[in-house]
Amino acid sequence: MGQGMQQTSPTAQNLQQAVAARSRTVRRVRLFLLLPALVIIGVFGLAPLSIALVYSLLEPGTYGGVEWVFSTDAYVQFLFERDIFDDTLSFNSAYLQIFGRSFGLALCAMIGNLILGFPVAYFIAARPPEQRNLWLFAITLPFWTNLLIRTYSMLLIVRDEGFLNLALMQLGLISAPIEMLYTDGAVLAGLVYSYLPFMILPIYASLEKFDFSLLEAGHDLYASRVQVFRHIVIPISRPGIVAGCALVLIPALGAYITPELLGGGKKLMIGNLIAMQFGSGRNWPFGSAAALILMSVVLIALLVSLRAGAEKEKAHG
Amino acid sequence: MINVREVTKRFGIGASAVTALETVSLDVPEGSFFTLLGPSGCGKTTLLRLIAGFELPSEGEIALDGQEIGHLPPHKRPVNTVFQNYALFPHMTVARNIGFGLEMLNRPKAEIASAIDDMLNLVQMGEFAARRVDQLSGGQQQRVALARALAPRPKVLLLDEPLSALDLKLRKGMQSELKRLQSETGITFVFVTHDQGEALAMSDQIAVMSAGRVQQVGTPQQIYTAPQSRFVADFIGDTNIVAADLLGYDGAQARISFFGGEPLLANAASDGLPPGVVYVALRPETLTVCAASNAAAVLRGTVLDSSYFGAGSQMRVRLQNGTEIQVQVAEPSPAGSEIGLIPDTSMLHVLAD
Repeated sequence: MGQGMQQTSPTAQNLQQAVAARSRTVRRVRLFLLLPALVIIGVFGLAPLSIALVYSLLEPGTYGGVEWVFSTDAYVQFLFERDIFDDTLSFNSAYLQIFGRSFGLALCAMIGNLILGFPVAYFIAARPPEQRNLWLFAITLPFWTNLLIRTYSMLLIVRDEGFLNLALMQLGLISAPIEMLYTDGAVLAGLVYSYLPFMILPIYASLEKFDFSLLEAGHDLYASRVQVFRHIVIPISRPGIVAGCALVLIPALGAYITPELLGGGKKLMIGNLIAMQFGSGRNWPFGSAAALILMSVVLIALLVSLRAGAEKEKAHG
Repeated sequence: MINVREVTKRFGIGASAVTALETVSLDVPEGSFFTLLGPSGCGKTTLLRLIAGFELPSEGEIALDGQEIGHLPPHKRPVNTVFQNYALFPHMTVARNIGFGLEMLNRPKAEIASAIDDMLNLVQMGEFAARRVDQLSGGQQQRVALARALAPRPKVLLLDEPLSALDLKLRKGMQSELKRLQSETGITFVFVTHDQGEALAMSDQIAVMSAGRVQQVGTPQQIYTAPQSRFVADFIGDTNIVAADLLGYDGAQARISFFGGEPLLANAASDGLPPGVVYVALRPETLTVCAASNAAAVLRGTVLDSSYFGAGSQMRVRLQNGTEIQVQVAEPSPAGSEIGLIPDTSMLHVLAD
């Protein structure tokens, strides 16, 4: 046996070498194939974030840009106001309020989209397969137009002499125009309108393969319509609901055009605040800090909700 | 006891309406294994869905133990269904699937838990309680679907072609399993199938359906040995249907003659047929072969070929008028030979149409 091994060992060695060489090549090819993705993530993801992080820790230049002096002022400024004369810090909730309103509006937009989007997604999923693409096409059609233009047209509808007010006055429901433009309501309506497809599409995706005989099975097993919805439809579409909520909430939080146009720059959201720091505010470090704070809050919220979801899954078994 | 009274079901409205069931009446005895048998599109599944409550009748009534249930929603009927594709809830474990009905009925937790255990044992799936349903094989899913439908102890269990998705061997096993479950639980089973072998093997009673109507109701023996219509005779087993002349009636029996031969007496589904051409059902196993020259031979023909099927052989025989029939024999005659056939007259049936 031992002799036999010795006789074959040169071949075995060759084989080992060949295998090692092959796996080296495979590794190199894999790395090469990964390169485009890595470059994209690096150039468009990590690099801007790193720049923002560095800028947030510098001092603002007088005419924009940054002074290369280390400072945490940008973060301090978010919560406190520095007295011009004696440098003492006093608590300032102005920026927190903007954050609060942004979260409030984004959450309302998310809930509004869920209420509007779920029935639409369910409706499309319940159509015969050959009809579904037409409905999806109709949902995505507005996306062929620029968001700016869509928001402007919204502005034309809700302004004092706009379509909505004129129609209401024609119908005699109101005598003078209701001031709708430049209110939180207008911003919310704009957000709901802009992000509705982001809610519909993931929920539709989770319901696309839904077996509608499960509804009959539920009814058959003594579940009322409400119970069937709660115990069968909602749990099965949960991944789509979670994805849709995240896809609406996150961009709605950072929305810029909608609050700028429909909120008239008076009802600020975080996006406007950040944009302002790089423009008229001339405070790039503060803008960078606000952007990073927003990102961290969103990340933490996502992680917490993901963990909660996973635990719920485990509890249900 | 289910009483279906002159139920008609139409789908669609106006001129495009399709009638799936046409004034169907049926009585399903309590505690029986009752089968609705028919080809696809005959209305058997529609009838099942009407009993379950997934569809409402256009006309007529459905009563369960004397109470009209035809217009109640499914969750208000003490009737459960085993679906053709099982329709198990994919987001729940096996145990929760089985407990779902009782959970919706707001039964106490302890009762639900013990019912789940009982059901898992009944269908021999004890070790699978915590599994997700998508981790189960087809046969196992079938058992879970059965357990889920039986757990609330319904008065009637409806089964919509539950075995059609299983392979042959599993299907045979599940047939006896279903029979066992039915007799152990004493629950009325209404079973829908297009497989006549399945229906004959399992049922206490069979309703043969075609084109939205019930053609015949009876025990498997009655359906097999005494088909009343051409459709039933043709649908159940390999029946030969041969034309004959009806000469008249002799009491309840019909006097017929094949190809102008000696008159003989046969059972008749109806005594109201006018004399003339009628059709007679001849089961392949009720024909005896004799020499073509034998004077007792009622039918004569040429053997075309034969096929061996284990317990015997099936011969294809062409009769003098060109009709091809099947004859079951122990020893086939060689192809091309002329033979005579003597039918067992007690198994001859003049069909109603």
